[in-house]
Amino acid sequence: MIKLIFKRLAQGALVVFVLETITFFLVRMLPGNPFLGERKLPQHVMEQLNSLYGLDQSALSQYFNYWKNILTAGDFGPSLVREGLQVSDIISAAFPVSLWLGILGMSIAVVLGIPAGMLSAWWKNRWPDTLLMFAAMLSICMPAFVIGPMLGKTLGMHVPGLSVAGWDNPLCALLPALTLGLINAAYLARLTRGGMLEVLSQDFMRTARAKGAGATRQLFVHALRSGLLPAVSYLGPAFAALITGSFVVETCFQVPGMGLHFVNATTDRDYFLIQGLVLCYGVLIVAANLVVDLALVALNPRLRTQGAA
Amino acid sequence: MAKPTYTQGNSLSKDAWLRLSRNRAAMTSLGFLLLMVFACFILPLFPIIDNPNSTDLNNIAAPCSWEHPFGTDQLGRDLLARVLYGGRISLLVGLVATVVALIIGLVYGLISGYIGGRTDALMMRTVDVLFALPFIVLVIVFSLSIEEPSRNLTAAIVELTGWRRESVAPILGLVPLFIAIGALGWLTLARIVRTQTLEIKAQEYIMAAQSLGLGHLNILFRHIAPNLLGTVVVYTTLAVPGIMLTESTLSFIGLGVKAPNSSWGTLIKEGADRMEVSPELLIFPAAFFCLTLLALNFLGDGLRDAIDPRAAKD
Repeated sequence: MIKLIFKRLAQGALVVFVLETITFFLVRMLPGNPFLGERKLPQHVMEQLNSLYGLDQSALSQYFNYWKNILTAGDFGPSLVREGLQVSDIISAAFPVSLWLGILGMSIAVVLGIPAGMLSAWWKNRWPDTLLMFAAMLSICMPAFVIGPMLGKTLGMHVPGLSVAGWDNPLCALLPALTLGLINAAYLARLTRGGMLEVLSQDFMRTARAKGAGATRQLFVHALRSGLLPAVSYLGPAFAALITGSFVVETCFQVPGMGLHFVNATTDRDYFLIQGLVLCYGVLIVAANLVVDLALVALNPRLRTQGAA
Repeated sequence: MAKPTYTQGNSLSKDAWLRLSRNRAAMTSLGFLLLMVFACFILPLFPIIDNPNSTDLNNIAAPCSWEHPFGTDQLGRDLLARVLYGGRISLLVGLVATVVALIIGLVYGLISGYIGGRTDALMMRTVDVLFALPFIVLVIVFSLSIEEPSRNLTAAIVELTGWRRESVAPILGLVPLFIAIGALGWLTLARIVRTQTLEIKAQEYIMAAQSLGLGHLNILFRHIAPNLLGTVVVYTTLAVPGIMLTESTLSFIGLGVKAPNSSWGTLIKEGADRMEVSPELLIFPAAFFCLTLLALNFLGDGLRDAIDPRAAKD
């Protein structure tokens, strides 16, 4: 178990390192630079700015300095476009917003998706199944940027208290979270259905039925634990999907989270902010995958011996 | 005396086609997709469809009418024409990026599975690491960073061939998207191809081919690759909607298809901005986009059930 955690941590560190390295050099290849504003800066001002931020050095030495500053001083560098702000300030302000949105969205997804998948497996090939799976397919094919504005139009404009843009009261999170939740609910429902179907066809389920277990007992006591495995293993990648979904959702609803900052930073060429955000995403995804792996081991005892080997 | 009757056996592909044609959802989807391809690629060649960029100043933000079946936008451009031309770009990016991903994934998976051993382990660990990267983040950064090289390429082509810049630039403007999405979208396919290759490699006829002294390339491309065809077709169909989704997501946040091109993603973005005034600007492009994705998914599922009945989940 401990060995598994260490192995995964090492793998995760490698992932974060590769990601950050690729990003660093790709970002340096972007056309334009962070100081192209509305007014063209004179040559000497430009040179001074570049040397102030160390952008006049070779890419390789910038790269080593970047890691040195992070590892020795925990310094992610300044924002090049939003003067006076450090990347760490921006991220620490934006992270709670995205996290809250993600938790809310994921809760909606789990609450809607898993029961829907279970119902659909129970009534396999009957009308509730067909209906639910069609709804799931529909919602997979309706990307966040279609669902978002439509929810805004139908609910946001008419239900008092809901807001379609901004982030000034707690209710603002509701529509963006619903948008995120609906899409992930659809994937969860399909996976739960598949997992449950596999379990329901096994011998021990027939035994349970023969011994007179009712529907609730069959579903919740006997089938749920292993039927949930595919859905649980989806939750790790889903966390990543939630982040990518949040680019769209945060742009749509103007939520000041990491997604909105990332989109703005790429258009502004704010090198340090892009790098800082990507690093943050990498760590989050690796952590999410690790948690999911551990949860899978807890749910499925067979993995325990494999993990130790 | 009655003649003995023989029943003609069905070939594998005919069998698969029979199974597919019994699947109503998949056949409807296939019909819909053919119609969509016709509407987006062939219909605009005839003058019945307006120029998507010409403005009709007497009919600004007009509702649906005979002249403009879907109405017009805030500049008086015909929405039907814009949706069809947008579909052309969306479908084109979806197909070309998928082909790029397909080629990389196929070659990578074949080599990894065929060589096996340590090379295989190393290649698959690489895929694992790449899998953990946040895909869309990389696509964004990558597509922006190859914009300048591809602009230079456009200039070089214009100089070399003497074609008109205006006619080359729109297509070449899409090249960063083709490459970025394709170069990062091959991972799933590589895994699937590798697993299949391992399975096929263990069969007797491959051993027979080896003992006949055939070269590696011959075995790979004459004996293994054709047997992968079914799987590849299925997962390609299923990959297209995902790739189209990536393209339109990028376009929606303003980082994908750029003017003078417009795709369904950019049209949906424009529609979402003007939703309160004229909702049809959002509804028509969104409906075309969602229905196409839906059809591709149903067709992919149908093909999977038809070609590879073992993989079908009941």
